[in-house]
Order: sequence, then C-alpha cells, then structure tokens
Amino acid sequence: MSKVIDVELRGIIKKFQNNVVVQDFNLQVEQGEFIAFLGPSGCGKTTTLNMIAGFLDPDGGDLLIKGQRMNGVPPYKRELGMVFQTYSLFPHMTVAENIAYGLKLRKVGKQEMQERVKRVLELVKLPNVADRYPKQLSGGQRQRIAIARALVIEPSLLLLDEPLSNLDAKLREELRDELKRLHQEIGVTTIFVTHDQEEALALSDRIVVLNHGFVEQIGTPLEIYNQPASEFVHTFIGKTNRMEGEVIAIDADGIKVRTTGGLLIQAAKQAREFSLQQKVIVFVRPEKIKLSDTGVHTGANQVEGHLQLASFLGSYTECEVVAGKHTLSVKVQMSDKSAEREAGTTVYCNWDAEDVLIMPAERG
Amino acid sequence: MNKRLSITLLTAPAMIVLLGVFILPMLLMLMLSFQDDNQAFTLKNYALFIQDSFYLEILWRTIRVSLWTVLATLLLGFPVAMYMAQASGKMRGIVTMFILAPHLISVVIRNFGWVVVLGEKGWINETLMKLGLIEQPLRLLYNELGVVIGLTDSFIAYMVLALATSMYAIDPSLSKAASILGASRARTFFTVTLPLTLPGIIAGTTLVFSLSMSAFVTPALMGGTSVKVMPVIAYEQIMATLNWPLGAALAFLLLGSTILLVTLYTKLIETKRYKEVFAS
Repeated sequence: MSKVIDVELRGIIKKFQNNVVVQDFNLQVEQGEFIAFLGPSGCGKTTTLNMIAGFLDPDGGDLLIKGQRMNGVPPYKRELGMVFQTYSLFPHMTVAENIAYGLKLRKVGKQEMQERVKRVLELVKLPNVADRYPKQLSGGQRQRIAIARALVIEPSLLLLDEPLSNLDAKLREELRDELKRLHQEIGVTTIFVTHDQEEALALSDRIVVLNHGFVEQIGTPLEIYNQPASEFVHTFIGKTNRMEGEVIAIDADGIKVRTTGGLLIQAAKQAREFSLQQKVIVFVRPEKIKLSDTGVHTGANQVEGHLQLASFLGSYTECEVVAGKHTLSVKVQMSDKSAEREAGTTVYCNWDAEDVLIMPAERG
Repeated sequence: MNKRLSITLLTAPAMIVLLGVFILPMLLMLMLSFQDDNQAFTLKNYALFIQDSFYLEILWRTIRVSLWTVLATLLLGFPVAMYMAQASGKMRGIVTMFILAPHLISVVIRNFGWVVVLGEKGWINETLMKLGLIEQPLRLLYNELGVVIGLTDSFIAYMVLALATSMYAIDPSLSKAASILGASRARTFFTVTLPLTLPGIIAGTTLVFSLSMSAFVTPALMGGTSVKVMPVIAYEQIMATLNWPLGAALAFLLLGSTILLVTLYTKLIETKRYKEVFAS
C-alpha cells in the first residue's frame, strides 16, 4: 500500500523583519498520522502551524495540503479544523450554534446539521450541553466543544495549538487520553503543537523537535527518546544527568570515558564514531540509575556517593546523589525500598553500559 | 468607623453640591413649567406643544438630527475602533490622544472652523468649483447637514472610545477560529466582531444620541435661524421671549422624550440572549 501524503512542507522559511523564525522546514505528514511539533517557546512551532492554517504566509518554500500548493490561499478556503489554546468558542453562541457555525457556512441542511451536531457532541462525551453558552462550561468542557467544532466539518487536517496548556494537570491528562481516543476512532491527520514533552511522547506517531527555528530531529517518540540527534533533543525530552569528559579507551565492547568530575564511565557502542581523547558529553537518564546499599555490581557502571536530597513525589522518589564532583539525579520507583533512605547515607549508583549516551562536546 | 458611615461622609460634599445646583433648580423649573403668568397651576404650556405642530416638528427635527449624528459617528467610528482594537498599546494611546485632542479647543471655536470650511466661499466649495465639478456652491451650512457635521465632529470621540473598549474585550483568536471554519472576512465581521461589539454600540449610540438631543451650541452656530432644535427654542423662550414657563416645559419635554427613546431602544436590544451573553 502506497503512503498518502496529506501535508508536505518543502523548505519552508519564515522571517519577522530580519529575524528568521523558521529555517528550511521539510516534512511529509502521512494520512492519519499524529505529528507533534515540540520545542520551547520561540522555536517556530506555532509560526509553522499558523502557516499551515493560512494565518501567515511563508517567505520561502512550498506548502502542500493533499497535494495542492497552498501558499497564499486564505484560511477559510483550506478546509481545516483547528483548536486554539484559549478555546476560542464564540461567546454569543450556544454550544450547538458554535458547532454548527462551520456547517452553516457549508450550507448543510437543517436536519443533517442537527444530526451531525448531536453525533459530534456524543463523540466528545458531552451530549447534554447543546443549549448552554460557553461561559457556563468548565475549561475542560470548553476545550472538548472546541474539538467538536473543529471535527464536525470533517476537516482534511486537524491542527491543535497547545490545546491542553490552559488546563490544570489532572484535566490535561484526561483530555490528552481523550485526544488519543478520538484520533484512534476517526483517524484524522493531526498536527499538534506543544512545549510539553510528555504530551508529545504520549500522543504522537512522530515528533518534530524544533529549536530556534531549526528542525533538530524528526522521529518516533522512541527514536527521539533513545537516539536523540543532538544534545538539545536529549535534554529537552525528559530529565538527564550531564557530565563532561574525555574518551580514554575504545574497544569492541564500547567506549570508556573519564569525566571531569573524576568518574570512569563505561558506555556501549554508540551510533556515532568517536576518537581517543575526544572531548565528549556523557548523559544518563535518572530513571536508568539504580541505587544499592552494597558495592555489589548490578550494571557495568557503579559509583559510590552519598544521598544529598530525597523528594518523595508519590509514584517515585527523586534523589540527588553526590558522587565525585558530580551531583547525579536518580529516580527511584516507589516499589524500591531504597525510596525510604535518609539523606546523608552512603549509596551506590548502578547503571548499564547501554544506558549511557555519548555526544561530541560542542563543535567549535 | 463604620464603613457605611464613612462612605456617606465622603460622598456628602458632592451630594450637597448636586442637590443645590442640580436637583433643586430642576424641581423649581418643573414647577415653573406648570404655572401661568399669574403663577396659577396650568397645563397650557404642555398643551401648546400638542396643539401647535410647530413644536412637534421641532422635536422631530431634533430627533432626526440626533439619529443622523448617531449613524455618522457609528459608521465613521467603527473602523477607527477596529484599528485600535488590533493595534499595539502604544498605538492605541496615540490614536486616543488624536481623538481627544480637538476637545482641548472650545466647541465654539471648532464650530467656527467648520463655518470657514463649509461656507459658500469655504475651501470645499472653492475647490469643487475650481475643479469644475459644481457650478453653484453646495449648501453645507445653516441646514440639517451642517448641524449633523458639527455634532458628528463634537461627539465621535465618545463613540470611538465606547466601541474600542468593547472591542478590546474580544479575544483576537475568535476571528481566527471563524476564518478557519470557513468564514470570509466580511462574514467574520458580521457574525463575530459585530455581535460581540454590541455593548459598545449600545453605550456609544445612547451617549451620542443623548448628547445630540441636548446640544445647543452647534445647532445654534451651524444651523442658523433655519434649523431650530429643542434646546435652541427653549433657550429663546427663556432668554429672548422671557416666557420662562414655556421654556421650562420645552426643556422637560426634551428630557422626557430622550429618556423614553433611550429606554425603548435599550429594552429592544437587550434581549434575553443579550443578557445571558454579556451579563457579568
């Protein structure tokens, strides 16, 4: 089965005055795919979404939706659905009128309109709010209605502009699962802009990591997490321990690095090539490190340190261990009895060679 | 000190002034309007108004001129308010300053400025005649058009500020939402921007209407003797004819008509839906 490309960005460039905010963005989104644009504020993710929606015009490159070049086509002719951060429901219309707005513009008959409004309200699990005004709804309900309004026109593409960031933590998680369910149910091609790496990892088929207008990496959540293309990607996605050092040995099994803090770290073979004495940066994720009370090796790496801080966070405990001149962050699962250790005790940090990521130190 | 008491004490000076120079004279005027020359009670001043179509015509003219002024300020002010709503804070300040700046000059001076511009030998007529577009000078002054032009100039600031305040409260992403749902710019304006500006439209139109109904200087200067409105004839009765009771009656008829029309108008617009959407 050949892949159908729904959206294609070819060398998209956007400048504000002399500021380049999006630089040479290339991407192909397949039909039914859920893509996240992930990055810190000012990385160009929202600008790119606004170009896809038609609110901004690219200064270079081509934008194609369903194979049609869209540069210069106004938003109201693009047949897209969009959900905004601030819900953006029309306050002077009831929920039903809000949802029917796009249908009315498409001259859908009255009967069909009512049926479609009813169906989409059931889809977002709010069948009984049709006659209410947006301000009579909670934040989570409003966002569901905004999603319903975007979906009811059966858009060729659904754009989500940080739709969860105005909600509190619990609701956000609930609505995140809801988005996933909706996507599985209707399979509409979706582009989702977020600065929240967890949301991106949980929802997306693929993630585009952006930084300062550049695409740092495009890949599946697993690829992004486990094989980051750059230090930025690795540090932006989740917490990590970062140590500078120098390659002191390379053999068939892997690479040995001595850190500036005096630790000797054994790493498995890396995707990149390194040379002896090369300055490198070593990364280990906090959840990959296991704490033990005795010096019995459980992984290729073990360092002795003392527990400086332990913050109990419910399902896990976040610990800080001082080892050599480094302070390592360690995530201990609740099931591990080591979560009950007191600050000041001597502990051993263990991790496997496979869990070590090495990057060349800043080029130039 | 008790909160209520302190509020009473703090507002007392203003209340006393208001009572002495506004409420009391108003009551005296009201009593005066029901008196004849021998200070006996009479309804003839009000009866005259109904019997003599001259006065009804003047009231209707006052309303007509005020409605045209409301329409002109609304149509001219709307684009300015829309510009302000999407402009930066700095730009809003600059525009507000330009709108209010003319009010630093006395309305008398400003109206004479219009006389110079709109007169038979004013630069509008001179220019049009030089260009050969007209042969006779247009009558832009000493008619209702002249009064409407003068009042529009006087009151447009109130309209713009009322509209802009209402528009500032509209989330700019609403237009984006309408656009992506398929609405053209015109459609977005009529289905989203306009209905959401309704509170500002009501505030601006009632304000400009009330001010126009009671305007004296501009109709007197730019309407001349041919365009008499209620405040002008009330003034004439009191100052020229020295018929104080009739002048007072005319003033109260003007007040009553204005209150009645404004109340009807707001009742008509502020439907159940309006209250549900805009009630805070």
